[in-house]
Amino acid sequence: MAKIIEGLLYTDDHEWLAIENDIATIGITDFAQSSLGDIVFVELPEESTELESSNSFGVVESIKSVSDLYTPISGTVTEKNSTIEDTPESINEDPYSSWLIKVKISDKSQLDSLMDSKAYEQHCEQNS
Amino acid sequence: MSSLKTSLYSEHVALKAKLVDFAGWEMPIQYKNLKNEVQTIRNSVGMFDVSHMGEFFIEGPDAIDCVDKLVTNDVKNSKVLKAIYSPLCREDGTIIDDLIVYKISETKVMICVNASNITKDYEWIQEHVENFNCTLKDESENYSLIAVQGPNSFDTLKSISLGFELKNIDYYSLQMEKVEDSYIYIARTGYTGEDGFEIFAPHNYIKNLWRNLLEKNVEPCGLGARDVLRLEVGYPLYGNELNDKVTPYDSGLKWTVKMQKEDFIGKETLANYSPEFTLLKLSLEKGIPRTGYLVENREGQVLGEITSGTMSVTINKGIAIARVSKKMYSPGDNIFVNIRDKKYEAKVNKKPFVNGGHK
Repeated sequence: MAKIIEGLLYTDDHEWLAIENDIATIGITDFAQSSLGDIVFVELPEESTELESSNSFGVVESIKSVSDLYTPISGTVTEKNSTIEDTPESINEDPYSSWLIKVKISDKSQLDSLMDSKAYEQHCEQNS
Repeated sequence: MSSLKTSLYSEHVALKAKLVDFAGWEMPIQYKNLKNEVQTIRNSVGMFDVSHMGEFFIEGPDAIDCVDKLVTNDVKNSKVLKAIYSPLCREDGTIIDDLIVYKISETKVMICVNASNITKDYEWIQEHVENFNCTLKDESENYSLIAVQGPNSFDTLKSISLGFELKNIDYYSLQMEKVEDSYIYIARTGYTGEDGFEIFAPHNYIKNLWRNLLEKNVEPCGLGARDVLRLEVGYPLYGNELNDKVTPYDSGLKWTVKMQKEDFIGKETLANYSPEFTLLKLSLEKGIPRTGYLVENREGQVLGEITSGTMSVTINKGIAIARVSKKMYSPGDNIFVNIRDKKYEAKVNKKPFVNGGHK
């Protein structure tokens, strides 16, 4: 059973978001890392990149696959986790501390469509 | 929708393998962990279910002459109980399939063909068999095939009961045995670059063998690991490096075309053929090349594309085979792979990325 953390928000595409004031920290969930397998490469947007909701903002690659990362919210990248680009395997080890980017949210109402941990748990069960 | 299942399907389900469609077959792409599967084959021993591959038998007084005419490599002068890798070409030199011919006797051969090409190959071969005194039989439905690969393959197979004594045969050789009225073929071949055996046998025999090997802790490995392993040692794959539009000369397979043979299909064309393409083995310090990515020169002109690419487990780098135009590329030119509109410089490797340990 994939680990799900209470208090985070979740997307259909298995990203998690931690919200603090108007900053969203985004990563991928335990369910995502486990279906991808060994993560060997991560490509993230540079600071101050403008993101638009439901667009791809980067990729994670396992040995045999490439997967797009999607942002559920619009906003500006305030920080990317450069350490993760050098040690992508840490996403497999601890997906919830291995955040990818921080985004200054431009429209907080976009958060309303995201799932809480309970809803996400059901979403995972339907997908597994 | 996948509909075909191998005789080991229930074993894969019980092992919780991740199953995918491959040429209409529901096949295990990986079991627990792809990386471990690759490392296990390089360092000890693992096994693959490759029962989806096709087995044809050609038998009769002219069997050898017939096969020698069909394939570009030399079957006639090869010894009995040898395996011969060869392309199967059309008159215009293009490749129908790449296959292994197992010379069982002077009047019988087994041919192992790619699953995706069974129908195409059968029709082509049948058309030509009719001119010879021999017959073609597609026995794919009656045979299962497992590949036991890795440096410990021989010792492991020796340690279980096979129903006969396994001989220490040479690389690309064959042992034939009769167990309970069925023929079993054991070849020292594989697709990993490591020492190993491929065992062609009736379904029940293979099911028992699989279970016996599992009990000896032989790691079941999926087609994902198999693809990484073959790419690390630079072996081509039909559908990627090889296809209906290219010849062996475009694909690094000149060594399999024996011009000194009296005749074979495609000889006339290939004798005067100047190849359009060449295959390059590329490695990247950063970034992972994938099938279909464009290969460019420093000026951004497209030279060709990646036919297969992956992250190498063994050397921990992005590796690929690329097909480039011979007109556009000269040896020594700088090569870049276009990954999501960014250019990554690639090193052109003369040798395989990994030296397999096969005999």
